[in-house]
Amino acid sequence: MTTAGAGLLAACVLGLAAAVAGVGLPRRARAWAVGVATALMALGALVAALAVIIGDRAFTARLPSVLPLSGVTIALDPLGALFVVVAAVVAVPVAVYGVGYALHGPDGRAFHAVVPLFVLSLLLVPAAGSVTTLLVLWELMAVASTLLVLADHRRSPAARDAGQWYAVMTHLGLVAILIGLVVFAGHAGGESFAVLRARGPHLSSSVRSAVFLLALVGFGSKAGVVPLHVWLPKAHPEAPSHISALMSGVMVNLGVYGIVRVGWDLLGGGPRWWGVVVLAVGAVSALFGVLHALVSSDLKRLLAYSTTENVGLMLIGVGAAGLFAADGHRTLAAIAMAAALLHVLNHALFKALLFLGAGSVLTATGTRDLDRLGGLARSMPVTTATFAVGALAIAALPPLNGFVSEWLLLQSLVHSLPSTSATVAVAMPVAVAVVALTGGLAAATFVKALGTGFLARARSEEAEAAHDPTVAMQVAMVALAGGCVAAGVAPTVAAVPLERATAVLGPLSTAVAFRGSGSSLRLNGISGSMSPAAIAVGLVIAACVVLGMLRAVGSPRARRRAEAWGCGRTVQTARMEYTATSFAEPLQRVFDDVLRPDLDLDVSHASESRYHIDAVRYRHGIRDAVDTGIYQPLLRAVGGWGRWARRVQNGSIHRYLAYALVAVLTVLVVAR
Amino acid sequence: MSGSLYVQLLDLTAGLVLVCAFVVLWRRDLAAIIRALAVQGAAVAGVAAVSGAHHRDAEPLVVAAVVFGLKAVAVPAVLRRTVGRGGDTREVTPLVNIPASLVAAAALTLVSYAATTPVVAVAPSPETRTIPIGVAVVLIGLFTLATRRKAITQIVGFLLVDNGIALIAFVATAGVPLVVELGASLDLLLAVLILQVLTVRMRTKTGGLDLDALQELRD
Amino acid sequence: MTVGDDAVAALQVLVVTGSAPLLVGVTRKVRALLEGRAGASVAQPWRDLRKLFGKERIVPEHASWVFGVAPLVVVSTVSLVAAAVPFVSTRAPLAGVGDLFTVAYLLLVGTVALALAGLDPGTAFGGMGASREMTIAALAEPTVLLAVFALSVPARSSSLARIVAATLAAPHRAVSVESLLAFAAFAVVVVAEAGRLPVDNPATHLELTMVHEAMVLEYAGPDLALVELGAAMRLVVLLGLMASLFAPWGIATTARPAQVALATLAFVAKVGVLGAALAGFEVFVAKLRLFRVPELLAASFVLALLAVTVSFFLA
Repeated sequence: MTTAGAGLLAACVLGLAAAVAGVGLPRRARAWAVGVATALMALGALVAALAVIIGDRAFTARLPSVLPLSGVTIALDPLGALFVVVAAVVAVPVAVYGVGYALHGPDGRAFHAVVPLFVLSLLLVPAAGSVTTLLVLWELMAVASTLLVLADHRRSPAARDAGQWYAVMTHLGLVAILIGLVVFAGHAGGESFAVLRARGPHLSSSVRSAVFLLALVGFGSKAGVVPLHVWLPKAHPEAPSHISALMSGVMVNLGVYGIVRVGWDLLGGGPRWWGVVVLAVGAVSALFGVLHALVSSDLKRLLAYSTTENVGLMLIGVGAAGLFAADGHRTLAAIAMAAALLHVLNHALFKALLFLGAGSVLTATGTRDLDRLGGLARSMPVTTATFAVGALAIAALPPLNGFVSEWLLLQSLVHSLPSTSATVAVAMPVAVAVVALTGGLAAATFVKALGTGFLARARSEEAEAAHDPTVAMQVAMVALAGGCVAAGVAPTVAAVPLERATAVLGPLSTAVAFRGSGSSLRLNGISGSMSPAAIAVGLVIAACVVLGMLRAVGSPRARRRAEAWGCGRTVQTARMEYTATSFAEPLQRVFDDVLRPDLDLDVSHASESRYHIDAVRYRHGIRDAVDTGIYQPLLRAVGGWGRWARRVQNGSIHRYLAYALVAVLTVLVVAR
Repeated sequence: MSGSLYVQLLDLTAGLVLVCAFVVLWRRDLAAIIRALAVQGAAVAGVAAVSGAHHRDAEPLVVAAVVFGLKAVAVPAVLRRTVGRGGDTREVTPLVNIPASLVAAAALTLVSYAATTPVVAVAPSPETRTIPIGVAVVLIGLFTLATRRKAITQIVGFLLVDNGIALIAFVATAGVPLVVELGASLDLLLAVLILQVLTVRMRTKTGGLDLDALQELRD
Repeated sequence: MTVGDDAVAALQVLVVTGSAPLLVGVTRKVRALLEGRAGASVAQPWRDLRKLFGKERIVPEHASWVFGVAPLVVVSTVSLVAAAVPFVSTRAPLAGVGDLFTVAYLLLVGTVALALAGLDPGTAFGGMGASREMTIAALAEPTVLLAVFALSVPARSSSLARIVAATLAAPHRAVSVESLLAFAAFAVVVVAEAGRLPVDNPATHLELTMVHEAMVLEYAGPDLALVELGAAMRLVVLLGLMASLFAPWGIATTARPAQVALATLAFVAKVGVLGAALAGFEVFVAKLRLFRVPELLAASFVLALLAVTVSFFLA
């Protein structure tokens, strides 16, 4: 058996073993056993995926006996292997973190049994090779994640609401994917991906477009694009933090995987408007996500909206790749797709890190509200340092990994001009403007999250009493932070895997995105190079020179702590600090028309005189515009229709018997 | 005049026309808006002058002089007199806020470029490649008419539309005959004078230049 | 004999560091003369820095390590940019860093570091300065990147050395429509990023009107000297970028020492002229209130967008 096969088999066995251990073992050993087994399972899958990428040949296997009627087909090619690597690289630290988190969070048998199954499904979805396999694994992933979101439902009613929304939306997405893939398989005459790939380009264009749109809707809802994102900010804050890390860092990537796989591999690429639609969806999601992240003062909600923003950036890359491929610019298309795939990896790393940090803060202080945190740099140094690495990475600052994928994306967009197509000439500046604005707003958002949440003084007693979490949790966060730094300083390691992954996609298969020559990233076919290692080394050298210069000038390095001047105040309390809400207020005012905040001001006067005020109540909130504008009216309409339909069932037996009589008469007449 | 110098001057003056349209949307001060309009009128005249100098034709130069006298001197003077007679001198709250109207104007420019590509493709030349700029200025003028409250700014919007049409006429038809231009200019001057009289009447009736006040006349 | 690439990079850093306080002195002197005063000597900022370097280092009691690290980050990033941008020679001293996008993001790193340092002491004004600074930086980003886009289209690359070489090879392109529009947009961005009027007043003593100054209110001694030096170097780098991108004549294309020396003098002269022009302009404008700054930035964004699209449609 090949390495890939052995790795996948080991992963499956370990996953099932972990689930059994989670059910069977006593409380103390449960967390350890499940954590270790899950980590080993992820490592097994990682080995399998690396074998596929390094060997550059797909691994296929068919197991007709596992599922009735259709059997299971496994086909792991370099594109899927890339997503398996991403999943595994995140799953290992998350599994380790889960060992420590079990002391604070849910630790029932069901929970510990479901977590390994969830991770197993995340690892296997990119390896699916037929429609049924994909759908079964997708459903397993959906059910497992719903159960995990509901893990805390006994303690918080919001978790129940979140679970409901998530369950409904993920199954609506599944229905869309099901219809799309079944139509595809029906027209192609077979359900394995090999058959679909062979027949896909030859189907009629209306069928191809229908399949593409259904796949976009279904996979897009899993990825969290606007307007199908409403479950993200509800489900992520309520799930346990390491589950949120997996959901945000790995599960949404599978939505992007689905769009790329169906649109560009199985269907073989399409007309220009496919790329434009994906680009537009990506741009709207990016802007919407970052705006809501900016004004959110709940740390996990902020991270959830930031996931929408990053998925938007990935889809901008995918859409641009499609647009360029349709126009025949294969080199540019390869670079754009490589940028999107690299961003998948980078986002998984830093988003998982940020969620794990948020989880540590939640367990240490009991609150997610940024307006009540603060001062954690002193009491939780490790968490602060790792969160800072994650925040700077997600703000796309050099020399960390977010900057590399952003740079690649911008290079691909910028080199599209001069072009002969008016669509490109209009879409590219708009895309660059959107990427730039989201980058700037993301930097502001994470300065807010890091600065008000972790620095300065504690704003509440819970924040003052915080301390760093257990060793397991710290190790996981440090590992992911190290991963961010490594991916930032040495991105050329990913050059070959990205090339092999994009080679799978038909229209781009003859182009190579970038080469690593030494430490710098050199673009292929167009002029552009960037060396993050040189940036990192340059910064370190510059810092040493500055310190040396300070010493040479003879300035004292010993520091004295004194009260902050604060413009001459003699007493500084924690109430005088800027809060997260006030930090974001100028930008919220600029985008007032888009965000439409709710402002409630209630002034109650004393009974004796209108000039004396008794109390003032001020309420400020920002609601998700898609939620209030589309989903709530839809739910109200469905509810109204339900109430109307209730009139049909008014409880009278005579009426029901009359319905039966009418039905029999109709059948007699019609089926004559 | 050498070919490349001519193309550059043409592009520069046409670009100045477009930038002035954006400045009209950007500034709040009525005096600054009228100044931008005057500069735009001068730039439109400049396009005609550059074209005439390149083709060594005297008629476009005379037309340029007439246009300059009208659009850059006479009409702005009339508008300034209307503003100066007291009342508010600032456009305080437009219906669409200023950053959003700037972004909308940029979008209108992109739309005009995309929509006039087939027109330019009929006879590509340095002159016809500035037709999209004229269309963009017309669209921006209509946008100004639709989203501003003060009567003066609405007149400015109307004049922007006229400037845009004049620019298209100068570049698309290789010059406009003097007679046609004189007729159009006299019509324009008459229209502005009538609008000025009406504005003064409006101010005496409603005490300000805010067009929303005109809704009260419905009763 | 030729001047090596590393030597050129080091020379650029030295020139930028040395001339930064002098540039600040020149702007203050020009402003003073235009206001009818005599003003301090041009070398006064150097004396101020020397005094500050010798003072005691005081750190607010609730601040963390971020407060001490931020001035180092600011000066380091600006020095790296100074070494990489072709101010003096187009032979690309650090090819891996000399990309216009990289430079823009490196400058953003400095802004973020100072914003975090403003929030760290836990004072109200520090938070206010950080919030305002991030608002301006976030809204200026689209203009910056679109201006970079507009400049990289004619050169077919965003690498600074190639853009400068392309402008040197085709001088008439420097006065084309897209170049002038990009210049106007870039000028607004330089004013916003360097914290000068009409976006922010560097000489104000009223805390409620401060943006940059409010973030650094708590700094004292050597840390304050580094922050001031960093801000001055940032101004030199931004003005130098403007000069290199839009008026690159004088930049050495070979490594001969005579050409490099001449290029250094040209750089210092260009930055001096631009700085004096900026100071003169500042005398005649008033500071915009914070909620009018987005309008200014939106106007510059539109100019940059036009610069990109016009280059396509008028080509």
